Amino acid sequence: MKRRVFTFLVGGKAGEGVKKAGSVAAHLLAGMGRRVFQMDDYQSLIRGGHNFSVISSSTGEITSHYMNADLVVALDARSHQLHKNHLSDKGVLVFNSDAEGKSQGVGIPMTSQAEKYPQPALRIGVSAIAILVSALGLDIKRMHALIEKEYPRDIENNIAYADSIYDHAQPIIGGRFPLNPGDGEKPILSGNQAMGLGAIAGGLDVYLGYPMTPSSPLLHFLAAQAEDFGLAVVHPESEVAVANMAIGAAAAGAKTMVGTSGGGLALMDEAFSLAGMTETPLLCVLGSRPGPATGVPTYTEQGDLGFALNKGHGEFPRIVAAPGNLEEAYYLASEMLSIVWKFQTPGIILTEKHLAESRMTVDLNVQEAKWAQPKMHKTGKYRRYLDVADGISPLLFPPSKEVIKWNSYEHDQVGITTEKAEIIAQLHDKRHRKNVAIIKYLKSLRTVNEYGKKGPVIVTYGSTTMSVLEALKAGGIKARVIQPVFLKPLPVWELKKRIGSTPVVIEQSCAGQFATLLRDKLDIEPQAVIRKYDGRPFDPEELARQIKEVI
Amino acid sequence: MTDDLITYAEITWCPGCGNFGILNAFKKAVKQLEKKGIDREKIFMTAGIGQHAKVFDYANLSGFYGLHGRSMATAQGIKLANPELKVINFVGDGDAMGEGLEHVLFAAKRNADISVVMHNNGIYALTTGQRSPLSARGYRGPSTPWGSEEDPFNPLTLLMEAGATFVARSYSGNIDHLANTMVKAILHEGFSFIDVLQVCITFNNKYQEYNEMVEVMKTIPASHDEALALARKKDRLPIGIFCRVDKPAHHRALYGDWNPAKKRRTRKQRINKLEKLLLSV
Repeated sequence: MKRRVFTFLVGGKAGEGVKKAGSVAAHLLAGMGRRVFQMDDYQSLIRGGHNFSVISSSTGEITSHYMNADLVVALDARSHQLHKNHLSDKGVLVFNSDAEGKSQGVGIPMTSQAEKYPQPALRIGVSAIAILVSALGLDIKRMHALIEKEYPRDIENNIAYADSIYDHAQPIIGGRFPLNPGDGEKPILSGNQAMGLGAIAGGLDVYLGYPMTPSSPLLHFLAAQAEDFGLAVVHPESEVAVANMAIGAAAAGAKTMVGTSGGGLALMDEAFSLAGMTETPLLCVLGSRPGPATGVPTYTEQGDLGFALNKGHGEFPRIVAAPGNLEEAYYLASEMLSIVWKFQTPGIILTEKHLAESRMTVDLNVQEAKWAQPKMHKTGKYRRYLDVADGISPLLFPPSKEVIKWNSYEHDQVGITTEKAEIIAQLHDKRHRKNVAIIKYLKSLRTVNEYGKKGPVIVTYGSTTMSVLEALKAGGIKARVIQPVFLKPLPVWELKKRIGSTPVVIEQSCAGQFATLLRDKLDIEPQAVIRKYDGRPFDPEELARQIKEVI
Repeated sequence: MTDDLITYAEITWCPGCGNFGILNAFKKAVKQLEKKGIDREKIFMTAGIGQHAKVFDYANLSGFYGLHGRSMATAQGIKLANPELKVINFVGDGDAMGEGLEHVLFAAKRNADISVVMHNNGIYALTTGQRSPLSARGYRGPSTPWGSEEDPFNPLTLLMEAGATFVARSYSGNIDHLANTMVKAILHEGFSFIDVLQVCITFNNKYQEYNEMVEVMKTIPASHDEALALARKKDRLPIGIFCRVDKPAHHRALYGDWNPAKKRRTRKQRINKLEKLLLSV
């Protein structure tokens, strides 16, 4: 039986509640027990412009939105123009007849109906939900309950408005898309939420962040959770302050995380090096967007890979890992918090806007999160940088009778500044040995995910993994997908066994940084590198065609 | 008797450096604090980079030797994580008024409960005597052989306007005054800042000038305006507390009497809450 995906797209101006309508639609579909993937496309503005939210849903697993929708609701004329070609074979486009008069598709007077109530412009997003409920053939009571829950301000008028839109839609498209229920309702999370929850489960105490898309929602989410989970969440003056405060908090014993995008991470560069030298556990979430510089703030790209792998001047162990889906984002956040504390060095969770801000139904076992437990000093004279075999000196936090000295200068084992040749080399060696310990530990983890049993090898990472897996389903393609979760150190011991010499590489980078990394580390030559760098995530159908061209 | 507040690190300040006075005053202050019931193990020092920062190596106390200009941020992170610590942040004038100015002003703005001791020698000493943000117009250093073309900041008025709840000036040549001022600053709950006039014997020797101009204030100025006027005086250099204001410290305003590093929620508590939260998102 052919797998059925239902896709709903709602577009309009910023301020019309497009994202909200998308999220309500996602909850409606998830409430039917179906799996859902929601991608919000929005611009860097607060009012006007063009936003859309696209939700794809299936009874089974789904890991991407589809750009060709079954039902498009265009709240304004621009959305109609932009999305009229984004229809599936039997797709329906519903447009706002007040915005453009007669046109192709089903016209509904969304604005004039809304104008019967106060603040019509803020209400118009509700019409998309009424149209969706009608098209799915769901009971109107279900719509009422949904509106009560999701649009709690001025419920009565919202319901009256939704009823009038529903009545317009019902004779034309009522029951057009009957959907099978899925196997049970799953929670919907964004990638940022998944990472935030994972970090909390892993022992997070302090989160610091300066607003920067796409990581601001992580700051907002953790700020909202602060009281409940006993976190200190602070938005200080700059990313420079964020990183240096985080290092202080960690030295005082608090499990600390920071989040930013490429530009903010650039400002944290010096502090990364400080964490390397002082051996401070510092975990950073890097939500990538198209660069360089300000780039395209609200869109997606994997152009920061090389940057993330080489953060901070000087030589010290660095750990970089990239989740390939939202569930992994949860587990990996806890694992990375645990790892940076285990090895007392900075680490990066590398992700992209596409994972950080997309939302999907997740199947989580929250218990499976790691719990950060550093090696602690037991008794006797304390030396912060005790030269032990694995390079990992035990930690001790103030207040203590023992003197604890963390030092950004090269230092002796006590932590006092040194310029002595033999001590410089000795402490360098001590830190360097942690690289061996890190690899030894990573060998005990699943550092590479492999999907599919047969067919050509596709190598990808990060959020692109979700796009690739959905593309294989969309195109009925048999392939083995290899996704390294850890990128530094790169698990070559696993990849060499799995990749062969001529894989297809898929990434969202113009320069093909991931392919370059694989060439350098594995001595392979990809047979093709499929790249996308227009800020938009891959569409599974488009990607399936591209894959078929090269395999 | 051995000095238990001193480490084995070799002291590399120039003979006659004002930093000796600051280190000695700090040691006195620590002992006074101990008499007042504040154990030295609760004292956590941070330092930037410069001649001033060597106090980190010399003082036998716990701490974090941070980056140039950034140690004020690190100090705030320490306090945020464990508010039971008394965080004393030694900074240079180049460090705090140049590269790190934003962090000092914001620490004052948010009333972070840290004590900033600024070794103000009016130059960058460790990097061989370039002008600092506090050097006088006309100061000739290797980066301004023509004489500095900029006017200096006034650190006291700057910090008072930024909202600092404790601002004082002291002098490295008056160790008792400096030690007492440090004790008061550390006991103040909220952001405290001490501008310490410090002689640089090698690049900016103002011993005679300071000895003539420094004058101990008898009382705390009655108003903000009076404090600003005193801080702007050029013919004399009043030392003492310019302002002391009661205002909730940042960590209290943020999370009350919580302590993120010590009173952590257990893993079990977190997992239980997460399971409930997942049902509601």
